[in-house]
Amino acid sequence: MTASDIIEKHRFLAQSNVYLPHIMVIEKIIDETPSVRTFHFNFKDEKLRDEFTFESGQFGEYSVFGVGEAPFCISSSPTRRDHLEFALQRVGKVTNALHRLGVGAEIGFRGPYGNGFPLDLLQGKNLVFVGGGIGLAPLRSLIWNVLDNRDKYGDIQIIYGARSPADLCFKYDLDAWGDDKTVDVITTVDRQESRVQSPVSRVEAGNSRLQSQESRVGAGDSRLQTADSRLLREGFVPQILGQVAPSAQNAIAIVCGPPIMIRFTFPVLEKLGFTPEQMITTLEKRMKCGIGKCGRCNIGNIYVCRDGPVFSYAQIKGFISSEY
Amino acid sequence: MSIEYRVSSFEEYRGGRREASKLKTQNSKLVRKKDIGSVLHQWSKDYTIFVPCNEGDTAFTVHGSRLTVYGLWDGSDINLDWYRNTVTPPKANFLPPLEEMFRFQKGKEGHSMELPFEPGVWSLESGVPLPQLIFGIRPCDARALSLLDLIFTDAYQDPYYLPRREGAVLVGLVCLNPYDSCFCTSLGIGPGESDDVDLLLTDIGDEFLIEEISDKGKRLMELTAGLKDATEDDTARANEAKEKAYGRVTRKINTEGIKDRLLSAFEDEHYWEKVAAKCIACGICTFLCPTCYCFDISDEMVKKQGARFRCWDSCAFALYTKMPMENPREEKWQRVRQKVCHKFEFYPMTFDVIACTGCGRCIRLCPVNWDITQTLRLLD
Repeated sequence: MTASDIIEKHRFLAQSNVYLPHIMVIEKIIDETPSVRTFHFNFKDEKLRDEFTFESGQFGEYSVFGVGEAPFCISSSPTRRDHLEFALQRVGKVTNALHRLGVGAEIGFRGPYGNGFPLDLLQGKNLVFVGGGIGLAPLRSLIWNVLDNRDKYGDIQIIYGARSPADLCFKYDLDAWGDDKTVDVITTVDRQESRVQSPVSRVEAGNSRLQSQESRVGAGDSRLQTADSRLLREGFVPQILGQVAPSAQNAIAIVCGPPIMIRFTFPVLEKLGFTPEQMITTLEKRMKCGIGKCGRCNIGNIYVCRDGPVFSYAQIKGFISSEY
Repeated sequence: MSIEYRVSSFEEYRGGRREASKLKTQNSKLVRKKDIGSVLHQWSKDYTIFVPCNEGDTAFTVHGSRLTVYGLWDGSDINLDWYRNTVTPPKANFLPPLEEMFRFQKGKEGHSMELPFEPGVWSLESGVPLPQLIFGIRPCDARALSLLDLIFTDAYQDPYYLPRREGAVLVGLVCLNPYDSCFCTSLGIGPGESDDVDLLLTDIGDEFLIEEISDKGKRLMELTAGLKDATEDDTARANEAKEKAYGRVTRKINTEGIKDRLLSAFEDEHYWEKVAAKCIACGICTFLCPTCYCFDISDEMVKKQGARFRCWDSCAFALYTKMPMENPREEKWQRVRQKVCHKFEFYPMTFDVIACTGCGRCIRLCPVNWDITQTLRLLD
């Protein structure tokens, strides 16, 4: 290879440089909880808005220039394409910097990465969505995707939990799915507000529609009714899942939440008769490159960024106990 | 949801390489050691030349010897009689310890980005970018680069590593005086042979015997003047020297079924705590490992200008995998397990090849004498 060949090769690779982000513009910001925000964003380059395609469950690397990059899933559905969404909790350097941005600010985005949910496997099946906290973000993309093609799928059950009523994300979605007669939504919280008053949830009091109903019904009751007669249960997600006991017949369970919830949910599903192939989850790991090179997101020989983040329990159960 | 790899196995990858360049070892040349400078001078028209050298006149020593690295050839005559192997592996020439990926700035129209000048190609003062020629690379280190290729070509092509790698020429040097920490012969690599270099040199006294290994090496030889054809006697002397070198690699590991043995020991916390006990998690074994490639990506910004860069990272550090809520490898034994299993279990599962070349750096440069061969012997 001569020097000019190399320059040519370099130009080719520079054009498709996987590490170069696209510039995105934030169009709208929604406060989900005191520490979680949803950002609506779009490509600055209008040509790319039409060219860009992704699947539910895929993720991107989002960057604040000068601060750094972090991976989050795309939480909007590919069936609704006027903008993209991602949701994130304020926990570290990059997420804090993202939370400080306002509408009109520019961020870097590269993606989509990962495999996405296997839609062909889900079609014709009864779907049980099990989500915890901000783990609803990737599920939400899939749920809207499924609801926009409702006739292709069987029964849909959504079991979603958070620490407290104030920590429930995507309340507007929970309301919309609750209004949909073809969907069964069960919402639960670990603890009701009246028992444990955290400083964060006190600030949030009154912002939450579900929570504002609570005092009317009375504390101490483990099953509280919201105004539109939907249940807000109390208990951890795996417990509630065991009580609801969805049938494993022709069903697939899609689980996403904090690792501790995922770990305790699989045994419950197994007891209900779900096989490892019938359980699908989307995992979260520390990532840098997002494309299987930087090395840190492995579980055994699997890279969560490139081989996942969507896995069946059958693929990962050998390693999940000790490395996840 | 099946997992698809672009490269399904190391054999497949190398099979393709071999097909492209049929091995022609019979055509050997000779060069006198004192003429090596003039040969390098001819090559320097087309290549940026790196040779093993001791870094400056620094007082910094590693186990009694000065820090040996691949440095830019300064045009003088070279004598490699002292040379055994470098401290920094040649991966540093292709995946630099610190490298700028792109620059960005914030202007009135928003953010804009630009690539640094010709990343991936070393440039001389004239500004003409030239590919690298690494002179004196050992067979183990050359194999390590082939193993790294798997990662950087797989699924997504790395735009920084690959242009450097594809243009480069590796001139190997048979390893006549291996360290007592070397165990390459246990891993299918020999001190006297290599498929991974382009040319292979053997020290036969006052001369080097040069074997053409790849097409790239053959073309390079055709363009090189001042070489003699080797006689049968020279080849015999070279073979004798190689034979002796094999006998000098005395450390061994048992690689048979190592993948399965590690898999069954994966949950054995007692074993891992025992082997990790003296590790101080300094990470030097991973930084100096020729097949470790993990990196971190960070931003720096001053006023409205900044750069994104990547630098080596190590699975020996707890922060490497730390997430806001938990850390899958919080404990030291978990991180040692990751390092050992990545090379001897996960890599074989994915590419059907062990990602260790037996270069022995992690043994001889470890500050607490942690020994991978001892760790694996406990599994026997």
